[in-house]
Amino acid sequence: MTNYYKVAEHVFSVCGEDEVFALMDNYAPFSSSASDEVVFSLCVNRGAAPDYTEVIRQDDEGQVIICGRNAADEPVFEFRWGNQSAGWLVCSSDYLHSRLIVSDDYQKFAVDNALMVLYALATARLQTALFHAAAVSFKDSAYMFLGKSGTGKSTHARLWQQYIEGVELVNDDNPVVRIMDNGQAWVFGSPWSGKTPCYRCVSYPLKGIVLLSQAPYNKIERLRGIQAYAALVPSISGMRWDEPVADGLHQTENALVSYVPVWHLDCLPDEAAACICNETISV
Amino acid sequence: MKIKSGFVLREVCGERVIVGEGLDAINFGKLLSLSETAAWLWKKAQEMGEFSVEELATQLCEEYEVSLAEAKADVAEILDEWKQVGVVE
Repeated sequence: MTNYYKVAEHVFSVCGEDEVFALMDNYAPFSSSASDEVVFSLCVNRGAAPDYTEVIRQDDEGQVIICGRNAADEPVFEFRWGNQSAGWLVCSSDYLHSRLIVSDDYQKFAVDNALMVLYALATARLQTALFHAAAVSFKDSAYMFLGKSGTGKSTHARLWQQYIEGVELVNDDNPVVRIMDNGQAWVFGSPWSGKTPCYRCVSYPLKGIVLLSQAPYNKIERLRGIQAYAALVPSISGMRWDEPVADGLHQTENALVSYVPVWHLDCLPDEAAACICNETISV
Repeated sequence: MKIKSGFVLREVCGERVIVGEGLDAINFGKLLSLSETAAWLWKKAQEMGEFSVEELATQLCEEYEVSLAEAKADVAEILDEWKQVGVVE
């Protein structure tokens, strides 16, 4: 069986047995009709570990992604939960056609991570960036909160919802930003949202990006040029050692800092932080 | 001397910065802002591969109207900064 999904107007396909789609409830709101123009396709099967050579690994609180190459020089990604291998993603060099080999454990973790990696890599050249951020909507616009893990992105988004009338959560962990053909930046919900189940197929024009830092007070200031760029780069998923990917992301980041106000908020996790931020950036 | 692998010159809002993008530079974690002259030197250094203060200073003299002594002092200062930040070796 093959299913199609559309995230930020980019369509991708997934093929596999029913047991795969049983793990994919979070993709249902993004279901799409069959399309010839997919940004990538993924086939999921059970199987044995492929041979590959490790190049680099990322470890995020026990969730490990190992990037490598196989004998045919194709990119390989292994997803590990702690010490257990959940799956191996083997890609064509343009990331268009890939297969995911899943083990018996943590299959959902493997499917979600494989699709996030592929989505980030396949859309990097298409003025699109998969962010690590929380995004909210307010008065028909979207605002995005960035920061290192544990800084309080989700908390700040929750404070906006709690204390500011008309605020809704767009995505809690992985919204997609796309520069549209008219040059406007838009935020889209995605099937990936961290620990908060918020899988909404919605989109809003992006009107502000806020980098958060914890502090014993609340203070907000505008970042410009290189400072704004530096705030965005660490929050965007992508393998920047792959040159076409890095070039694509750079173009998107440059467009974003040119057209969307970027701010730095030193904040406490309180009502006043949400209010000062909202009043400053949503004018 | 040479530029370490993995560093790329990018233009951000009309300004020039060095970013670490390659596998060997992925943990650089900073952006290095360059003046117009420094960016010109970076491109020359990148073309030359191996380079010395003298060689870069000579190139600078051919492009800009400065004396060799001034060029050497400028190049030495810029290379010192690059060494300190860790983008050349």
